[in-house]
Amino acid sequence: MDGLTPSEQREFQSVVERRQMREFMQMYSNLVQRCFDDCVNDFTSKTMTTKEEGCISKCVEKWLKGSERMGQRFAEQNAAMMQSGGSLGGGASR
Amino acid sequence: MSMFGFGGVQGPTSAQKIAAAEAELEMVTDMFNRLTNSCFKKCVPKEYRESDLNKGESVCLDRCVAKFFEVNVKVSEQMQSQAASRQGGAPGAGGMFGM
Repeated sequence: MDGLTPSEQREFQSVVERRQMREFMQMYSNLVQRCFDDCVNDFTSKTMTTKEEGCISKCVEKWLKGSERMGQRFAEQNAAMMQSGGSLGGGASR
Repeated sequence: MSMFGFGGVQGPTSAQKIAAAEAELEMVTDMFNRLTNSCFKKCVPKEYRESDLNKGESVCLDRCVAKFFEVNVKVSEQMQSQAASRQGGAPGAGGMFGM
């Protein structure tokens, strides 16, 4: 980040770490909900069917791969945007 | 040194700088979360036939991210020009949300 002294950077770093933990938990619960909603729709039994289990594992894996891919594209777009003088996480105007 | 601790020659305090950096981080993570949810919903069918992203889904995700950015820029430009014409002032210096 721009214009922070080393001690400010350390403090900011701890803020970032706390947020990352929160983000991670949030992603986890969102993923549970997404895969539950998309895969589990049959309540004639109280255990998951093999089909549901398969769906869940594909759902999780696909989401992780997809979000990684979108993360890469996001970073590229963001970098391009900062270079062209826009701002989003760059603070190019300061 | 100014009497109230602000408005002097000195820049923003450490706390203010960190808060600003955090707000920026917040904005970016929020945008990223909304983007991923939205693009995943638009590009990946709920049947989950395989655990890999297929070609079509991958290309769709790439384009979706690019378009999401484009929409961000468009909306921000339009809001800025709206605001500028309402105030009759000069349009902003560019950048998203005039930041």
